[in-house]
Amino acid sequence: MSSLAGRFAGALPRFERAERGRVVAGVCSGIAETLSVDPVLVRLTFALLAFASGAGILAYLGAWALLSAPEAPQPSRTRRITGAVLLVVSAVLALRGLGLSDRVVWPLALAAAGLTVLSGAIPGGLDDRRARIGGIVLVVLGAAFFLERNAHGSATTLLAPGAALVALLLVVGPWAWRLSRERDAERAERIRTQERAELAARVHDSVLQTLALIQRGPDDPRRVSTLARRQERELRAWLYPEREPAAPGTLAGALQGAVAEIEELHGIRVELVRTGDVEADERVRALVLAAREALANAAKHAGVAEVSVFVEASPERVALYVRDRGGGFDPDSVPADRRGIAHSIRERMERVGGSARIVSSPDEGTEVELDLPGRAE
Amino acid sequence: MSVPLRRVVLVDDHDLFRAGVRSQLGPTVEVVGEAGTVADAVPLIKELDPDVVLLDVHLPDGGGQAVIVQVAPERPGVRFLALSVSDAAEDVIGVIRAGARGYVTKTISGEELTEAIQRTADGDAVFSPRLAGFVLDAFRSGEAAADPELDQLTAREREVLQLIARGYRYKEIAARLHLSARTVESHVSAVLRKLQLSSRHELTRWAAERRLI
Repeated sequence: MSSLAGRFAGALPRFERAERGRVVAGVCSGIAETLSVDPVLVRLTFALLAFASGAGILAYLGAWALLSAPEAPQPSRTRRITGAVLLVVSAVLALRGLGLSDRVVWPLALAAAGLTVLSGAIPGGLDDRRARIGGIVLVVLGAAFFLERNAHGSATTLLAPGAALVALLLVVGPWAWRLSRERDAERAERIRTQERAELAARVHDSVLQTLALIQRGPDDPRRVSTLARRQERELRAWLYPEREPAAPGTLAGALQGAVAEIEELHGIRVELVRTGDVEADERVRALVLAAREALANAAKHAGVAEVSVFVEASPERVALYVRDRGGGFDPDSVPADRRGIAHSIRERMERVGGSARIVSSPDEGTEVELDLPGRAE
Repeated sequence: MSVPLRRVVLVDDHDLFRAGVRSQLGPTVEVVGEAGTVADAVPLIKELDPDVVLLDVHLPDGGGQAVIVQVAPERPGVRFLALSVSDAAEDVIGVIRAGARGYVTKTISGEELTEAIQRTADGDAVFSPRLAGFVLDAFRSGEAAADPELDQLTAREREVLQLIARGYRYKEIAARLHLSARTVESHVSAVLRKLQLSSRHELTRWAAERRLI
């Protein structure tokens, strides 16, 4: 079906009679289902049209003849043509019922019949060429009839362009509606395809590369776990961007960077839990550097695989805790040459108006508490 | 002190992961059944009536929540412990609000997981540091609470959660706050109840935003 008529027919919504929810023959509920409207609305329209010299009843019969039941073969050609004729007659009756004079109604009916044939609503029996010629003849006849009858202007002529427009909308409307639905579906499909491509690219660049690296050097457990950890971090940042904002200008972003560095450098795992966030000014950056030092100490001396970091941030106060369950030490007996704690942690915090506290014991591990009051103080 | 043997059903769509968990669990836990989908898990759990179900948050035909919702009304004695690789707040909050007694991440050690299962079977709540962080976030003050009983944490509950977030275990928290382990557990259970019943904006938003990945 590559002809114009075929394409036009393909663009029309496909009406069927409904099996479910039908009252008489399923015509109204079938139409309602295709148009996605309430069946009551369709039934009401038919009922109202019935008052126009019975147009509604004729239209119902016509539609019943024309539409097939679901999963049933197309009705016979005679039946389809009868249905179409009934629909056209009922349309004429309805328009007359609306007060349009015969001068307008009959030309319209002819034109509508022509357009119906052109649209391929009665396919099958007629081949495309003959259908096209027949349709065009009918439309031209309708137009000629209209001009002949309305050569001498009167009040009703003014109505004619409006009526013609309505007829045109009736014919073109469903087609345009269907086209726009198809375009939406196409767009959704395109977006899906793009997303899939992006996912494939991401998996290829990161996960598959990492797996290849791991397979090349499976005998070095530390390297394997470092690679796996790095990959996990990347993947998480991508999957849950709202949870891992990593904006470098914030405490969270700076801390994540520091944690990632420590994990890479020392092959340990850092469990970072955070509530709240603040802008990373100079003081906050000092706090992050102190935390980094505490993490490095834990990684080097505690002899554990995992260290916990918890940070609670608000504009009034930032509290950060670095905790390990390692061997612990006596903070007072650290030799003077081990400058890490004194210099990098305590002094750094004090310079920006904060404080550091270190609690350590051989059986409970070590916790470094960093406290930074808000700027107001 | 003898620890009772707990019957556990594993629900996770990765065979490899299930095998890993099985091999890591201590002798006090017996895996009586396994399932990889919601459709398989629901009848299996109803039939076996285990003490604890270890439940993955993401399953191909729904999620951990779907399993809880379908099993819980008929088997009120079965307790659920959610297990996930996800860090997304809406996943965590969603499964807890569906009725799970706790949430742990898949990187948990075998020993800790065994302990968490025991605690879940006893009806206690199991909070990982990360879950504690989420709860502190969700219950941050600022927003006017409609129901102070449910919408706010007490100072003690907040303190306990902060210590969990810092990596402390229940016993260590009890020692630090000079409380009994039992009291610490009852604080955590109270927080779990608030998490499930509170209508705080953040919680309902997280629960509503739950999406598939």
